[in-house]
Amino acid sequence: MDEGVEPVLRVEHLGKAFGRARVLHDLSFEVARGEVLALLGANGAGKTTTLTCILGIVPFEGTVTVGGVSVRREGKRARRQIGYVPQTPALRDGDTCHEALRFLAELKGAVAARADELLARVDLVAQRDQRIGSLSGGMRQRLALAAALLADPPVLLLDEPTTSLDAASRREFYALVRQLRGEGRTIVLSTHAVDQLDALADRALILHEGRVAFDGTVAELGARTQRRRYVVSVNGTAAAFRQALRDAGIDAAHVREDGLRWEDILTEAAAGGHEQPPEGAR
Amino acid sequence: MKTAGIVARKELRQVVGSSWLLLYAALFTALALALSYLGARNLGNLGFENFSRTTASLLNLCLLLAPLVALSLAADSIAGERERGTLAYLLSQPLDRWELLLGKFAGLLAAIGLATVAGFGVAGIAIALFASTMDAGTYALFLALVLALVAVMTGLGLVASVVSRTRVQALGLAVLVWFVAVFVFDLLLIGTVSATSLGGGGLLLALLLNPVEIVRVLAIIQLEPDLQILGPFGSYLLERTGATGASVILGAALAAWVAAPVAAAAWLFESKG
Repeated sequence: MDEGVEPVLRVEHLGKAFGRARVLHDLSFEVARGEVLALLGANGAGKTTTLTCILGIVPFEGTVTVGGVSVRREGKRARRQIGYVPQTPALRDGDTCHEALRFLAELKGAVAARADELLARVDLVAQRDQRIGSLSGGMRQRLALAAALLADPPVLLLDEPTTSLDAASRREFYALVRQLRGEGRTIVLSTHAVDQLDALADRALILHEGRVAFDGTVAELGARTQRRRYVVSVNGTAAAFRQALRDAGIDAAHVREDGLRWEDILTEAAAGGHEQPPEGAR
Repeated sequence: MKTAGIVARKELRQVVGSSWLLLYAALFTALALALSYLGARNLGNLGFENFSRTTASLLNLCLLLAPLVALSLAADSIAGERERGTLAYLLSQPLDRWELLLGKFAGLLAAIGLATVAGFGVAGIAIALFASTMDAGTYALFLALVLALVAVMTGLGLVASVVSRTRVQALGLAVLVWFVAVFVFDLLLIGTVSATSLGGGGLLLALLLNPVEIVRVLAIIQLEPDLQILGPFGSYLLERTGATGASVILGAALAAWVAAPVAAAAWLFESKG
């Protein structure tokens, strides 16, 4: 974050445990006004839990403030400043798009006319009076984005919003996020779309087992991880691939077993543990 | 409070369109109508007795049906949202947990109340037509008592909903509460009284522990204090305190029963996190 820029979101020593399982360990970060922070990490790294703590949905240790308002002490006021898009569509199937937005506009204290305005923005005017249950996954997530924008909140939290979408819907959704970024909105985007980072985010925060493994600009992350990275999909086994490399006279010491994900490669490389970035095979 | 009102309106719209409530409204209205007609036909021109008997039958029907509907709809409320994955999203909005719960309580109460009033209204018209005498004030009081019982059961249903992980668990718990309150409680207490020779205080406490019994006794006292219909606990109270004293005690207990479950549900919802 730039020095001297007032953070709109501040997370200090955030900790969370579910029973005996500790999910977040002493997490601290800030997001400046107008900044887009990409929250990265493998499944189970603590991304969603971090967002639910910021929203004050679950009890947590540490301090979270949104626009200077404590989430723990004044949860309702803090949530007024947040627009949230969950990982999976969470609006009631039986409502029409307009009914759902009108209800949420009332809750958020937004004017009802915003509902139609935002339906147009996310290209759902034709679906205005259609039941949410009949919408495609992409439409539902666009509707959730419209809902998040109803009260024009200073902060948007997007929790892996494209996880369940096909490639075309994903592109459409990310085009909307790019527009929002262009408008100077503050966004925390939890995502696996590492290939979209340059276009979507200013900063990246990588979580690994509930701890911050990397916090820096997207350019810094790129410099660390994109020098020499090869992601190879093989039909055979990793051992056969390794043997093929050896046969070709290539050092196969950094070939990883299958199941390796982008996030693992990023986490390890960003942590700076390799002179030569790891190669991934899956 | 404004937020709770918004949630209540939304809940009312949702519940009014649910098949459960429509079924309840239709069944209740049909049965109420049948009771009114049969009451008039069997009792002929017995005047106020006709009205009392028909209303008492209607009351018994209410004591059976209304708690079941209130408990099951309320039990589905929070647990259903949780299971559908919509609860976390609702809680991510600018509202407090107690506002969500209070809103759901008010919306459910209004929806079930509307269905009950519709049934009572139709039956009331039938009684007015068939019976030679009708006391509109007493009839309205009965309706108020049934609505109070609906409020109690809605609160208890919300408690079941908050503490349960799944809808099935919540519904199971709700049906258990209904079964105990409507069928088992009296038998259990009569057995306990016989076995332990419970004193006067024990008898009174036993009565106050069951909101269904409170409403039943209170309604009978208002209508036609009959020691045989009142049962052992009601008879004891009436003999000791008189009709006015009994009404005050039972009314206060009912008010506490209305407030306590919804307050408990809100506290549990808040503290569960």
